[in-house]
Amino acid sequence: MTLENFYEIIGGDYAGTKSRFLTDERIARFTAKFPADESFSNLEKAIAENNVEEAFRAAHTLKGVAGNLGFTALFEISQTVTEILRGGSLDISAHMPELKRLYTLTVENIAKL
Amino acid sequence: MTENRKAPRQKILIVDDSELNRSILADMLGGDFDVIEASNGREAVELISLYGGKLSLVLLDIVMPQMDGFEVLAKMKEKKWIQDIPVIIISSENTSQFIERAYELGATDYIQRPFDTNVVRRRSLNTIMLYGKQKELKGLIEESVYRREREQSLMINILSHIIEFRDGDSGNHITNVRKVSEMLLNTLAKYNAKYLLPQYEISLIALASALHDIGKITLDADYLNKPEKLGKKELETVRAHSLRGAEMIKKLPYASNEPLVQRAYEICRWHHERWDGSGYPDGLTGDEIPVSAQVVGLADAYDTLTNKRVYKEAVPHSKAVEMILNGECGAFNPDLLEAFKSVAGTLQTNLRLSSLEDI
Repeated sequence: MTLENFYEIIGGDYAGTKSRFLTDERIARFTAKFPADESFSNLEKAIAENNVEEAFRAAHTLKGVAGNLGFTALFEISQTVTEILRGGSLDISAHMPELKRLYTLTVENIAKL
Repeated sequence: MTENRKAPRQKILIVDDSELNRSILADMLGGDFDVIEASNGREAVELISLYGGKLSLVLLDIVMPQMDGFEVLAKMKEKKWIQDIPVIIISSENTSQFIERAYELGATDYIQRPFDTNVVRRRSLNTIMLYGKQKELKGLIEESVYRREREQSLMINILSHIIEFRDGDSGNHITNVRKVSEMLLNTLAKYNAKYLLPQYEISLIALASALHDIGKITLDADYLNKPEKLGKKELETVRAHSLRGAEMIKKLPYASNEPLVQRAYEICRWHHERWDGSGYPDGLTGDEIPVSAQVVGLADAYDTLTNKRVYKEAVPHSKAVEMILNGECGAFNPDLLEAFKSVAGTLQTNLRLSSLEDI
């Protein structure tokens, strides 16, 4: 799969990422590291423990990483969740399934690169 | 790793709780820097305190566990590290209060996520260059001011020493009196707040102290080098040196309003006055004697006691301190004596050290 295809499937912004990262090599190298990033599992863990503060930080980090890599769809849903958590509320169940779906989609497709 | 380079590589600290973000930033900066990383604010503060000025730049995330980026900035401000180490904030927060707060805490610049290679690289390089230039200029200015000061005070010491040389003193009288005066002035305000002087005033008095005996140039060398006790007439002539010195200063055709000249006048004229009015030439009492002359008077008495003169042997330090405190060299301001007592312990070491500095 090409990088362009990958970004299309996961709802990302290839052109924007390329303009910031300058080379495909760099995009591929850091995209490959994404599955090892712990912010998504930290978010799930914090939600299970009812820890709003920790959940906020994890969602915030996930948002940052997704934004940096140009994973737009994942970035946007993380942003929604981050803003709810920032207000001190754990009421994010309406968004978590979509967040999880996009995260899984992204990780699965990175494996095909 | 061990290759020789002309200049050490610039060290940059990247602080971000995501390893992935840190490695993207490090990669975007390119291979020309020595990158170290911290994953939270606490680690960052530890590394900043460890490396200090060796850090050329800190790239700082805001939302982090343990200690956030604002707390790191506040700590850097408190410890004054922020004056030497530039910080660029990197965050996805982009509300204006948020950015304003970072600037207020001393951040130099702000880079918004998502990271852009050219922006990260250019802003980092610009900031490093700006701070580097500033550091270099600061160093140059300090160096030239320091040299100037050193050379000026060396000139004064050389010229003043000529006079001391005439009475057979080849020691460090001028530099000793200056050092003791400085120590006393720095301590005196602890015993009486009315003697609290700004640092430049203390330096000025210390500098002017070198001139305290210039009036001796008018004396016949025979008097100065006479080992026997002086007769009444001779003693009067020698004592006139303080008034002679003051006249010489007063007759200067220039700079009579300069504080240095005014302090020099006071010191020349009144460094032999004593607190109870028993000194000369005017028999002033108490605080009628300017503090400059009081302090130099005591410093002069101490250094004259502890060094050999043609008419007397040197007295050991502890004995000299005792004699001054007992009033055997005339009465001094009680607050000044307290200050003298408190610096007496470190006096000899400090005089030895300052004589090594050769100014």
